[in-house]
Amino acid sequence: MKLKKFFSLLLPIITGASVLTGCNEESNKNVNTTMPKDGQELVGNITFWHSFTQGPRLEVIQKAAQEFEQKHPKVKIKIETFSWNDFYTKWTTGLSSGNVPDLSTALPNHVVEMINFGALQPLDDLIDSIGRDKFAEASINEGSVGGKNYSIPLYSHAQVMWVRKDLLQKHNLPVPKTWDELYTTAKMLTKEGVYGLSVPMGSNDLMATRFLNLYVRSGGGSLLTKDLKVDLTSPLVQDGIKYWVKMYKETSPKDSVNYNVLQQATLYYQGKTAFDFNSGFQIGGVKANSPQLLDMIDAYPVPKINENDPTPALETSNIPMVVWKNSKHPDVAKAFMKTLYDKDRYITFLKAVPVGMLPAIKGISEESAYRDDPLVTQFKHAETIIADAVQRGTAIGYEHGPNVQAGVITNQHIIEKMFQDIVINGTDPMVAAQKAEKELNNLLDIISAK
Amino acid sequence: MYYRQHNYTRWIFVLPALLVVSVLFIYPFLSSIFYSFTNKNLIMPNYSFVGFANYQAVLADPNFWMSFFNSLKWTVLSLVGQVLMGFFLALALNRVKRFKWLYKILLIIPWAFPTIVIAFSWQWILNGVYGYLPNMLVELGLMDIAPNFLSDRTWAFICLVFINIWFGAPMIMVNVLSALQTVPADQYEAAKIDGASAWQIFRYITLPHIKLVVGLLVVLRTIWVFNNFDIIYLITGGGPANATMTLPIYAYDMGWGSKLLGRSSAVTVLLFIFLLTICFIYFAIINRWEKESK
Repeated sequence: MKLKKFFSLLLPIITGASVLTGCNEESNKNVNTTMPKDGQELVGNITFWHSFTQGPRLEVIQKAAQEFEQKHPKVKIKIETFSWNDFYTKWTTGLSSGNVPDLSTALPNHVVEMINFGALQPLDDLIDSIGRDKFAEASINEGSVGGKNYSIPLYSHAQVMWVRKDLLQKHNLPVPKTWDELYTTAKMLTKEGVYGLSVPMGSNDLMATRFLNLYVRSGGGSLLTKDLKVDLTSPLVQDGIKYWVKMYKETSPKDSVNYNVLQQATLYYQGKTAFDFNSGFQIGGVKANSPQLLDMIDAYPVPKINENDPTPALETSNIPMVVWKNSKHPDVAKAFMKTLYDKDRYITFLKAVPVGMLPAIKGISEESAYRDDPLVTQFKHAETIIADAVQRGTAIGYEHGPNVQAGVITNQHIIEKMFQDIVINGTDPMVAAQKAEKELNNLLDIISAK
Repeated sequence: MYYRQHNYTRWIFVLPALLVVSVLFIYPFLSSIFYSFTNKNLIMPNYSFVGFANYQAVLADPNFWMSFFNSLKWTVLSLVGQVLMGFFLALALNRVKRFKWLYKILLIIPWAFPTIVIAFSWQWILNGVYGYLPNMLVELGLMDIAPNFLSDRTWAFICLVFINIWFGAPMIMVNVLSALQTVPADQYEAAKIDGASAWQIFRYITLPHIKLVVGLLVVLRTIWVFNNFDIIYLITGGGPANATMTLPIYAYDMGWGSKLLGRSSAVTVLLFIFLLTICFIYFAIINRWEKESK
């Protein structure tokens, strides 16, 4: 009897919940997905997830949101900030529970996974309203599937080689142009409390994958074959693995076996390493940690296998924004996103991390307001090197076009564990690579099977 | 009539807690069981029923068994260290007459810090390049070169266990100290008059009074330590070369690294079954102690 009463109470609750859910689905059908016209009244609350955890970038976004709310009193923008690693966990789990924002930043590899899940709305109208020709075609294409653009690039950067000029000058050494020269130079500079080059292999980041990719791309290869299978066993990739193992053993602090990007960069910021591979974000890090070293650092092209090899296409990141399909107010989200590209605000945003964030819009880098930043002036050479790398490169694994397999390579950290297996357990590089390759290809098979 | 009203009132009081428990525990618990029988993938929209395939795949994976044995080692070593250290500190504090409050505060500090602060602090302390512990050992002339605490398989595990003992012992200490203060003082006085040794006093008076508290603490700490994720993940990420990989990190990597939520759920269900079995054994022992003490 008691059980019967319990179910008689439960049934209306479940029915009510179903009706409410149905109502939500119904209301979603009436969502305005088109780009609003200038002067149109906007209504609705939106949530913006982004990964700009540092103060100056965060402040620009917050100010933009406040000004947008003032201009559109019926709009509220809720901003939530996550680190890149947390963000990945947040959106993948959020998709299962329906807890995703209206708009967010993303990494290029994430975007393809998001599109693959059917979680994004096309942004062609937003891109067209800003001016499609203002963006580099390659950066737009990274978020395009079936002729539709699902992401819009906010800024760009690329991996280059960072050098301590003073250490090279002290030992009368030239900037290395080949990997062998880098090895010799880094080994010579590994003394007196300084390491030549730290080789990071922490299994909670993608740093070892990044380093291996730089070597392999410089030799014209790829970590993905043309039919999008993982390649860790070809002669070029094996050479790359052995090269970084040798560098780890002879030029790197042993703790770097656990390093993530921040721990790796911190060594360079503190003047503990002579070389590093990173984007222009290094400048801000050195300025904050060891400003006395600011005059002694500069960026140079990533080494090649042979000096006369053609200039390679390496790793570029065009950091995009997306609008989620679940958004109830995509029109508001798009209108807000467009304001981030207003010239003055956009330049202020880029100058929050000078030379770290290069403009995704053509012509901005020539603007005097952009160029008058002291760090942009001081690091003109570095900016030129990074800008050139941005033009040539792609995201890791995107050499054959945007694909969901690239995310598997970078996000699983199986390559990092492979390196750890080699340097800690002494496993033969080919044996460790075969194991990692099989593991990664099994995961790709699971994705392909669906 | 009065009885029926009373009965409804009871349900009204219970309902909020029931709802919270349902949302926070029953739903995730049931969904984990459900997903463990599917090929649910975090970046794929569709999934289907796969029977026991996830359990078969997990049980056939050598990394699962390596993580399981690492978890056992981690739990046993941490727990023994925490209980011994907590017990020793509590016994010592119980004898302290002056500034007891100050010692209590100082000893409870590790427990009061957020885990993320503890993890990053220890990572900083043990870092082979700029960590002050390795460099201090060199400065003191105890070692020629700074030891690599976190890049050596054995040292990394030992360091994590040490940090966990340092972190968890204060909690044991506070609880044991509370239990010690319930032991009637006249029993100690009578024992002294009878000429009992310190060991006999501990064995026949102190221990019987506190063993139920210690037993319950061991049950709770076993569950917490076995499920511990943050300290290990934040300091070594399960490395180097899986040396500190435990089952929770294995499950996390499976779900959020490899996106195989179905397989990750199977790991958590197996983890739950194992801990449930351990708890049954513990509670059987505690029940026997309770019967003996009556």
